[in-house]
Amino acid sequence: MASEVNTDFLNNKKLDSIAADILKPVGISQGFIIWMGFLGISLMGCIYAYYIQWDKGLIVTGLRDYISWGMYIANFVFFVATSLVGMLISSVLGLIGFKWVKPIARIAEIIAVAFAAIAGLVIVSDMGRPERLPYVFLHGRIQSPIIWDVTVVTTYLAISTLLYFLPLIPDLAIAKGRIGHTPKWLQKTYEILSVNWKHTPEQYAILLKAMRILLILIIPTAFAIHTVTSWLFAVTLRPGWDSSIFGPYFLVGAFVAGSAAVVIMMYFVRTNYKLDKYLTTHHFDMMGKLLVLVSIVYLYFNINEYLVPAFKMKTADAVHLTDLFVGEYAWMFWSVQLLGLIIPIILLLFRFFRKPFAMFVISTVVLIASWFKRFLIVVPTQDHPFLPIQHVPKAWMVYQPTIVETAITFGTILLAVIIITILVKFFPVIPIWEMAEEHHESDHTTQE
Amino acid sequence: MIKKYFTILLILLISLHVSAQVWVVPAENEGKKSPFAFSDSTRKAGADIYVSNCKSCHGDPGKNNVIQLVPIPPDPASAKMQANSDGALQYKLIQGRGTMPSFKNTLAPTDLWRVISYIRGFNEKYVQEIAKNTTGNVGSLQNSQIVLTWISESHQIQATVSGLKDKTIQPVSGAEVKLFAQRYFGNLLIDEARNTDAHGAAAFNFPIDLPGDSAGFVKLIARLSNEEAFGEVKTESNMSIGVPTYRAPLNEQRAMWNVLEKTPIWLMLAYILTVLGAWAFIVYVILQIRAISKAGSKT
Repeated sequence: MASEVNTDFLNNKKLDSIAADILKPVGISQGFIIWMGFLGISLMGCIYAYYIQWDKGLIVTGLRDYISWGMYIANFVFFVATSLVGMLISSVLGLIGFKWVKPIARIAEIIAVAFAAIAGLVIVSDMGRPERLPYVFLHGRIQSPIIWDVTVVTTYLAISTLLYFLPLIPDLAIAKGRIGHTPKWLQKTYEILSVNWKHTPEQYAILLKAMRILLILIIPTAFAIHTVTSWLFAVTLRPGWDSSIFGPYFLVGAFVAGSAAVVIMMYFVRTNYKLDKYLTTHHFDMMGKLLVLVSIVYLYFNINEYLVPAFKMKTADAVHLTDLFVGEYAWMFWSVQLLGLIIPIILLLFRFFRKPFAMFVISTVVLIASWFKRFLIVVPTQDHPFLPIQHVPKAWMVYQPTIVETAITFGTILLAVIIITILVKFFPVIPIWEMAEEHHESDHTTQE
Repeated sequence: MIKKYFTILLILLISLHVSAQVWVVPAENEGKKSPFAFSDSTRKAGADIYVSNCKSCHGDPGKNNVIQLVPIPPDPASAKMQANSDGALQYKLIQGRGTMPSFKNTLAPTDLWRVISYIRGFNEKYVQEIAKNTTGNVGSLQNSQIVLTWISESHQIQATVSGLKDKTIQPVSGAEVKLFAQRYFGNLLIDEARNTDAHGAAAFNFPIDLPGDSAGFVKLIARLSNEEAFGEVKTESNMSIGVPTYRAPLNEQRAMWNVLEKTPIWLMLAYILTVLGAWAFIVYVILQIRAISKAGSKT
C-alpha cells in the first residue's frame, strides 16, 4: 500500500465534491456558539463544585475510610474504557482490511483522544491533595500498578493524538484553499498544521509508514491500558475483584462502551452536518453488527464473572454477590445487565434495529448502562471487607455520592464533549483524501 | 422410624449445645479471691490491660459493641458476666475456651486481678471480699526476691529465692517458681513450675534450640506463683543463652512491596524496556512529521 500511492485523484472532480461536503460545516456557526455556550455555562457550575472540593477536601464527597473509591474511580474506568475504541476501529478493523471503517476511523480517534485526555483529569478529581500530583512521578514505585496505569494512559494518549493528527495532515492541505468561509486564525492554523504537505509520493510514503507503525503499536498499548486498569482491582484480594479474567473482561467491556459512543457521535455528525452520503445506513448496520458481537463476548465474560463464584458461594463472595443479585444493588445490577447487554443484543440481531435512529437510541442506553456497570464493579466490593466494619460512624458504612461529587463527575463528561465538539467543528471529521482515494478506486473498477 | 431417629438426634444436639454453653468452674477456683483490695489505681491499671488484650472482642464495657463471634463474647458490664464470682472470672481468663484465648502465660496473676477489678467497676452492687493472707513458713518472709543464674554445664537456669526475716536474708524454701521467655505475644513457659529447695534454689532445664535475638539474647522472666503469700515477686533478666537468630526484615531484599530502589530486577527491566520501546517509536513518528515537512520543501 505504501509503495504504490495513487496521487492522481487529487485532480479529480470527486475530490472537490467530497471536500466541499465535508468542509462545509467547518467553522463557527450560530448553532456551535449556542451549544458551546450551553456547555461552557454548565461547566462553570461544575468548576465551582470542584472549587468547593479543592477548598474543603474530599470530605465534601461521600467517600470515607471504607469506601474510598467511589464515583470518581468508576468514572475513570469508564473514560479509559470508552477511549479504547480508537484502537479497535482504526487499528484492528483497519489492518484486517475492512474498507467501511474509513469514514468512521477519525470519529473513533476523536473519542480516543478526548476520553484518554480527560481520564487523567478524572484521577486528579479523586485526589484530596491534588497539588501533590508531582509526587506520583517523584516518589512513585514501579512495583505499583497505579504507576503502570499512569505510564500507559500517557502513552496511549500520545499514540492516539498522533493517530488523529497524521491522517489529518493531507486533509488540512486539501482544505487550505477551500475554507475561505472560516475565521483567519483557523486558516492560519491549517497552514501551520499541514506541515508543508504537497501531496508528493515521497510524503505519502513517509506518512503511510508512520501510520502503520502507530496502528501496530497502539494494539499492545490499548490492551495494556485497560488490562492494567483492571489490575488496579484484580491484584487485591477482595471478593468481586479477586478475579483472573478481569483483564479480558474489562477489555471487551471497553469495546461495548466505545462502540456505543462511536455510534452516538456518528449519528450526531450525520444529522447535524448532513453527511449521510458518507455515514450511510450501511455504516450503522456494520456498527450494529460490531456492537452485537462485542456485547455477546461481554455477556459471555459476565456469565463467567458472576456464575462461577455464585456456584461456589464462598463466604465473602456470597455476601458480595447476594448484595448484587437480590440486595442493595440489585436494581442497578439487573438494569445494567438487561438494558445494557441482554436487550441490546436481542434487538441488534434484527436488521430493523440497526437503522441509524434505532442504533442511536440503543447505543445511548448501552453507554449509560456501561457507566453504571463501572460503578457496580468499583463500589459494592468495598462494602464488604474481610474484617467486619465496626466502631465507626454510620455514615462510613454506606456510600452516598454527594451533589458536589456528582457535579464534578458531570464536569469531566462535559469537558470530553467540549474537546470532541472543538475537534469536530474546526477540522474535517471524515478523512477527505482516504474517501477520495476509495471513490477513485471504485470508479476505476466500474469503468473497467 | 426415621422421624424417631431425627428426634433423638435433635435432642442430642440440643443437649450438646446447652452443655457447650455452660462453662463449669471447679469449686476450688470458684472461691478464689484477689490478694489486694480493688481501688481506683487497680481499676486504671486494669483498664489499660483490658484495652490492649480484651477490647477487640469484648468491646467497650456497657456499650454492648462486642464482636459478633459464635458464641457471642459477653459485654463485661452485662449481668451475665457480673454473675461470675471473682474466682470464676480468674479461672476463665486463665483457661480460655474456643475463641477466647488462655491468658495463663500472657498476663501475670496480679494483672488478671487488675482486669477483674476494672470489670467490677461496672457493677455498682459489687462488694469485694479479699483473700486472707495464707500463713506458714514462706509467708513470714518479707521483700522476697528472685535471682537468676546460668549454669552452662547442665544448660540450666537456676532461680534463687530469698527474703528478709528478722533483718537477715534467708532462703525461701518450698515456693513455686515459674520461668518464662518473652515472646511477641505472651510468654513461653520454660521447663515447668518448680518448687525451691532448702537453699531457696530451683533449676530449670533450658532448651538448646530456643531462638534468641541476633546476639542470642533471650529475655527471661521468673515469677513466684503464690502471690497471695508473697505479693508480686518477679525478676527479669536478659541472657545470651539462646541460638543467635538473624531474621532478615521483609524490606531488606528486592521485593514487590519494597521501595523504588529495591524493585525486583525483572520488573525494572520489563518496565523500562517496554516504556523505552514504545516511546522510541512515538519519537520516531514525531520525527517523521519533520521529514514530511522537509520533503514538501523539495518541490
